[in-house]
Amino acid sequence: MSARLAPLACFSLAFGWLLAAASAHAEPYLALTQGAKCSQCHVNPTGGGLRNAFGDVFAQTQLPARHIDTGTDIWAGQIARFLALGGDLRFDGSVQHVPHTRTLDGFQMQQTRVYLAASVIPDRLLVYVDEQVAPGGALNREAWGMLWSADHSWYLKGGQMYLPFGLRLQDQTALVRQASGISMATPDQGVEVGWLKRHWDGQLAVSNGTAGGAATTSGKQTSAQLAFVEPSWRLGAAVNYNGAAAEGSRRAAGVFGGLKTGPVVWLGEADLIDDRSLGNGGVKMLATLAEGDWAIARGHNLKITAEYLDPNRRVPHDQQTRWSLLYELTPVQFVQLRAGVRYSDGIPQLASEHTRLYFLELHGFF
Amino acid sequence: MWNVSGVRPLAPLGAALLAACAGNGAGLDANGQPIGAGGAPPPPLTADFKSIQDDILTPICTHCHSGAAAPEGLELDAAHSYALLVGVPSNEDPGRLRVKPGSPDASYLVLKLEGSPGIVGAQMPFGAPALPQATIDVVRQWITNGAPPAATGSTAAVGSAAVASPDSTSFAVTAISPRDHSRLSGPPPRQIVVAFSHEVDASLLNETTLRLEIVAADGAPPVALSARLAEGNPSVVLLTPQRALGPGGYRLILRGSGGGGLADVNAQSLDVDYRSEFTVQGAP
Repeated sequence: MSARLAPLACFSLAFGWLLAAASAHAEPYLALTQGAKCSQCHVNPTGGGLRNAFGDVFAQTQLPARHIDTGTDIWAGQIARFLALGGDLRFDGSVQHVPHTRTLDGFQMQQTRVYLAASVIPDRLLVYVDEQVAPGGALNREAWGMLWSADHSWYLKGGQMYLPFGLRLQDQTALVRQASGISMATPDQGVEVGWLKRHWDGQLAVSNGTAGGAATTSGKQTSAQLAFVEPSWRLGAAVNYNGAAAEGSRRAAGVFGGLKTGPVVWLGEADLIDDRSLGNGGVKMLATLAEGDWAIARGHNLKITAEYLDPNRRVPHDQQTRWSLLYELTPVQFVQLRAGVRYSDGIPQLASEHTRLYFLELHGFF
Repeated sequence: MWNVSGVRPLAPLGAALLAACAGNGAGLDANGQPIGAGGAPPPPLTADFKSIQDDILTPICTHCHSGAAAPEGLELDAAHSYALLVGVPSNEDPGRLRVKPGSPDASYLVLKLEGSPGIVGAQMPFGAPALPQATIDVVRQWITNGAPPAATGSTAAVGSAAVASPDSTSFAVTAISPRDHSRLSGPPPRQIVVAFSHEVDASLLNETTLRLEIVAADGAPPVALSARLAEGNPSVVLLTPQRALGPGGYRLILRGSGGGGLADVNAQSLDVDYRSEFTVQGAP
């Protein structure tokens, strides 16, 4: 080992086994590869957003194909003793084709987000903000305070937050996220209690059910999920009830899990949604996702997803599917290039269900 | 080494997921709705604006998007929705049109309904579950078809004393945003939207026919405006103040009387001058 690498090695070793269990993105497959819970790498116990120090080190040492040596200047997110900073930037060029319509192509800033966390009582009380600063005007995604128990087996969180339900996928347009209506695009205001004990990882949240808007007098939203996490597999279940809409309630239940088979990680989720706010006795939907991630080599990942949506189980022959193939290259720390295709298919009558999307994305993160 | 102990139930699930196929559309109409469904269901949602108004905008969106306090000034009741949606830039993201005829993917309305990553604010419907993708696809189809207006007029007079109720033939103002006598507590409006009953003669849009005065500022020059017709919606005029509107009262005057007044493409004049006032409130 060279002398220049020594500081980084020491820094890494200081975090012991946790280093190997960290992940860096809101990408559940990374947690699967390490057999870890989301909280091993994110300050948010349910994943997504700011990475903790372990996550930052992992992102620099384990993710990229090549590590650019920065000597003793190692980014670990800490900008002051009690403050941590992070960010994500996603910019892409894409071509989208829908039959019988003009092909759309162009460059687009998908999102730039800045995370800030203040450990006002170290290891116990955290104040956290996730702000989207582009495109458009600033938009708050999350803003909450969280109190940990002394042994970090319980926490209480209050504020605006992402709700616990299923896999916290980076792709907010995944059919399971669209159908369930719960994603990182729809944070809500409420409180959440979390329980993380040995192999168990559970959350219960009560929120307004208004996607961050003002509360209604109709009711509240309750979300709960429980997962059992083993080093090579995990299995979880989630339920959600939203009574905030005056027109009727919306209920969802899902199972999700993952399996590591050598260099390939498999993820799956199946959700049943019963939306009674739409009248006519409500609409029952079924959405599923299967994903495979093949770690070809360090810094290289090939991802394939197969998705399925039955938008109304009482109506036959109206199902939709979506297939994605993505290649993710992380050449050096903090930089990722993603190239992918997404094929959506549906009934022949609706051209808009037959989308072909080709994209190249630059993802910067720190 | 593969480690599959205890997870065999996942295997058939994965196989089932991968084997799933899209529907063949048998028994469904052009909008993906069952053909000839029995019973007494409501009329099926179709890709025309009247159906979208009756089945989506009125029952769902107008809970919030109605009246003088409608978010972003976007009133989605039948009297205002088409004029304020089609070809009109979004307040949240002025670089995008709320509805860009022919381009659902470039229409901010679709992005908001689908909760796309680039949107500002929450996914719509706000405070309610997301619409089923099949419903959004109907909106997409309507936009793909060019976002035509309702076959039978869904416009009506707005709730403003200064706006007359148009009959089927007269050329009249049907909607103005911001509303007459409204008080705007948020950011000042980037644009003023004026909807007419017929296609407007764009050659008559000038500083004589369109004037934005500062109320209680005698002698002050009017606020310079740029005027253009909304894309794909030539009955709507978009007025953009050339400077940010500070706190205070404003009066919009649409000159329709006399020679050179506003008229439609068939040279039918407004005949009267319209006045509409609104107040921009300062920060508290």
